Amino acid sequence: MRFKVKCGLEIHTQLKTRLKLFSNSLNKSQVLSNKPNTNVSFFDAGLPGTQPVLNYEPVLLALKAAKALKSTVSPISTFDRKHYFYGDQPLGYQITQHYQPIAKGGYLILSSRFDQISQNKTIGIEQIQLEQDTGKTLYKDLTGLAHVDLNRANVPLIELVTKPDFSNPEEIIAFLKQYQYIVKFSDISSGDLETGAIRADVNISIEGGERVEIKNLPTTSAIMHATKYEIKRQISQFEKTGKHITETETRGWNGKQTYKLRDKENAVDYRYMPDPELPPLVLDVDEIMPQVEIEKPRDVRLEELMAEPYGLKLRDAITLLYNPEFHSYYMELFQILTTKKIVKRDLISNWICHEQVGALKKLGRPQDEYLPARVMSELIFSVDKGSIGSNNAKLLLMHLLDNPQDQVLPIAKLIKQFDLGKTTDDELDYAKICENVLSQNEAVIKEIRRTNSQGKLNFLVGQCMRISRGKADANDFRKRLLEMITT
Amino acid sequence: MSFLSGLKAAQLKYNIFTSIRENVDAELLQALSGKLKKVTVAIKDNIVTKEDKTTCSSQILADYESPFDATVVRLLKEQGAVVVGKTNLDEFGMGSGTTHSHFGPTLNPLYPDEARISGGSSGGSAAAVSAGLVDVALGTDTGGSIRLPASYTGVVGFKPTYSRISRWGVVPYAQSLDTVGLLSRDVSIIRQVFTELDKYDPNDPTSLAGDIRETIPKRTVTSQRLRIGVCEQFNVKELSQPMRNAWISSLERFSKDGHELVPVSIPSIKHALSAYYVLAPAEAASNLSRYDGVRYGFRNYDKSYGTTRSTGFGSEVQKRIMLGNFNLSSEAYSNHFLKAQRVRRLICDEFNEVFKLSNPLDGKTSFNDLGIDLIVTPTSTSKAPTLEKFRLSQNDNGVTEYVDDVMTVPASLAGLPSIVVPWNTDNGVCGIQLTGQFGDDNLVLDVAETFMAREE
Repeated sequence: MRFKVKCGLEIHTQLKTRLKLFSNSLNKSQVLSNKPNTNVSFFDAGLPGTQPVLNYEPVLLALKAAKALKSTVSPISTFDRKHYFYGDQPLGYQITQHYQPIAKGGYLILSSRFDQISQNKTIGIEQIQLEQDTGKTLYKDLTGLAHVDLNRANVPLIELVTKPDFSNPEEIIAFLKQYQYIVKFSDISSGDLETGAIRADVNISIEGGERVEIKNLPTTSAIMHATKYEIKRQISQFEKTGKHITETETRGWNGKQTYKLRDKENAVDYRYMPDPELPPLVLDVDEIMPQVEIEKPRDVRLEELMAEPYGLKLRDAITLLYNPEFHSYYMELFQILTTKKIVKRDLISNWICHEQVGALKKLGRPQDEYLPARVMSELIFSVDKGSIGSNNAKLLLMHLLDNPQDQVLPIAKLIKQFDLGKTTDDELDYAKICENVLSQNEAVIKEIRRTNSQGKLNFLVGQCMRISRGKADANDFRKRLLEMITT
Repeated sequence: MSFLSGLKAAQLKYNIFTSIRENVDAELLQALSGKLKKVTVAIKDNIVTKEDKTTCSSQILADYESPFDATVVRLLKEQGAVVVGKTNLDEFGMGSGTTHSHFGPTLNPLYPDEARISGGSSGGSAAAVSAGLVDVALGTDTGGSIRLPASYTGVVGFKPTYSRISRWGVVPYAQSLDTVGLLSRDVSIIRQVFTELDKYDPNDPTSLAGDIRETIPKRTVTSQRLRIGVCEQFNVKELSQPMRNAWISSLERFSKDGHELVPVSIPSIKHALSAYYVLAPAEAASNLSRYDGVRYGFRNYDKSYGTTRSTGFGSEVQKRIMLGNFNLSSEAYSNHFLKAQRVRRLICDEFNEVFKLSNPLDGKTSFNDLGIDLIVTPTSTSKAPTLEKFRLSQNDNGVTEYVDDVMTVPASLAGLPSIVVPWNTDNGVCGIQLTGQFGDDNLVLDVAETFMAREE
């Protein structure tokens, strides 16, 4: 039996602003080393007699998101209070936009070409609302004490609610990736799930049943696996009992299973109330929206990266586009190396997206500790003009990443110092080495002539490389050997 | 006798203050300067000050010290006024008697020989003025909390137009209604202090914007023949005959002075009290949810926040929190809260229809010559009851106390400037309430001043 699955997303995104939403304390939500309770104003702590005053930077960032998602901005939106008690909720309520959000409607198109899904799909947006983040509660020790940090309290968020248009977890992940692209490249948010800058709740139902919401999913893979698990759970429950889920329910995810957090019985009544002191947010939409600047749509940018002058492969273009830092690193290298007249431009993306990422992983270093563009460009240039072989270049890259003090030295000098340079043909007699190896491997030659075995040929190339101590170009040997064997 | 010992003697007799500044005599000797030089001020204890505790007369904030001064307190200090202490109130402003206080009731100095209530919730501020302790007192008025105690204690009580005086640092009861105002024996002092406090404050999101302030014409009484509205909806059955007589005699005075009496009808006023007791407790329930004992204030933690709140708040506050939360609950919201909001808008519209001056919030200033300048009404249904009678009446059904607000609540819902002036009758002094159009504070003060001068 086939089941129609319906999923929706509720995404909370921390906005990258200088100040918090309703106070003048700094928004340092992205500085993870920030000391607890150091960015807390009287209002953030909920002191008696304090009042909220709306800052306009979060409004602008919400408008950017609305524009990117083709959402209709409301000329008048209002703020409401959502009540519940919690130790890190200093006001006893969260200020949000329940009744009249800043934007309604909109959509995002998932593409079969770029999103690794089977066909194009449009995901509808319900609404976008501005709201405050809460503080953080940490249960650090065994004393039973909770530690409350209010640095995050009143940090601006946008909450985005999609329509229940997803039919599988892959579409959810594709949506999140594209959403991350939007918020990162339009400078709305740092956009990372891992730091909590983006938090997503998924709601899932199968046709005929009520919806179940899964909360607290910290990573893409948690979202993927929890969604898969929950779909399976709902289907198998129906298959076993013949009964659908009949009541809305909130569930958590423990890494293996979803589990019940609360159902309708113990659901919280948030007692939404229009905030009695925050005036409505009135926007001259026709005047403002044309001035709100956002980045081009992802698909347009991908096409650009794959076209001249970059000519990137789809996979590399996607890697760069989902990582703004890599993207600008690439652009910087591309510019330097184009002026140096590099021949093999594939080298640039290869060294950024693969070689360096791999090297950092091997060294156990953070991904953002990459080489300065100047050093990297010199290294790539040396590979391009053939003054170092790619294997030795990888060794040198590891060395440079591990010894930052050497990054100031010219690459040419390092190649010389470690004797990593390719020996030129005059110094290295390719023909002689080949002859040498062939004369000692009569049987192998016969075998190659008979079966055309690539493995055996590789064996011979290896022999030649060993004699040249890795300084020669393996392809050169291969060409010569093949010529000598077949003629 | 030092100033301080005067305060302390009165405190012993009437329980006016929640805290008294011990250094008040030294303060008065200092070389102060400013437009309010050496004006002595008492401050209602729901307005935060750095130098005193701010208790809101609640156990939950009994030891709370604010790290900042309210804007109004700062402005007073800058102009050389001397704060003498903080005054008692009904807990968080909820009440009409200043009897629901963690620190006990404030008695009425107008009746030194019997225990009568001073009215509420700004009863301490009214009593401080009535006892002659200070030149002026700050109060807050949500549904009549300045005007009722002014009437009961025989002083002038002024609730300006909503949002003219900053609320930054005023602990909210229901901030769509909460208005800071003044009590004094003398309209001219009120005018003088009001002038210094009537300023835009960027810290208060509801503060009336500068450009709107500028559009409001500053009307005076001098050469005008006023049209005085007499509104039938204030003639409620609960109004005692002595109060009705006082109302009539005050109207006769206006008529004798050459002003024209105009009967008007504002039908929705009959729903004002019900709407008010839906809206104000709802806002209160929301505002008071921050008092959980986690960051500051009284804490009685036993498995949940509940214990702190059920022991830290008094019974009247708990009653209103329950009422408010019920009206905000998902099943009651549209039937109660939204309807009450509609009634409120209707009342505003009907007031706008009867006034001569247009409402400045509606844009351009215009005048309707058939409209009225002021509405004159009683302030309370009777004079100040005895403490005993007041307490007994609360046992009836729990809402008798709310009926006292019937005269004052309409102006609160519409945010109108309203002043109560003492009016002598055969039955003693009682308060007559003059209410003007939104923003027409100057005329209200002007008429009050002339009216009082004529009386003597």
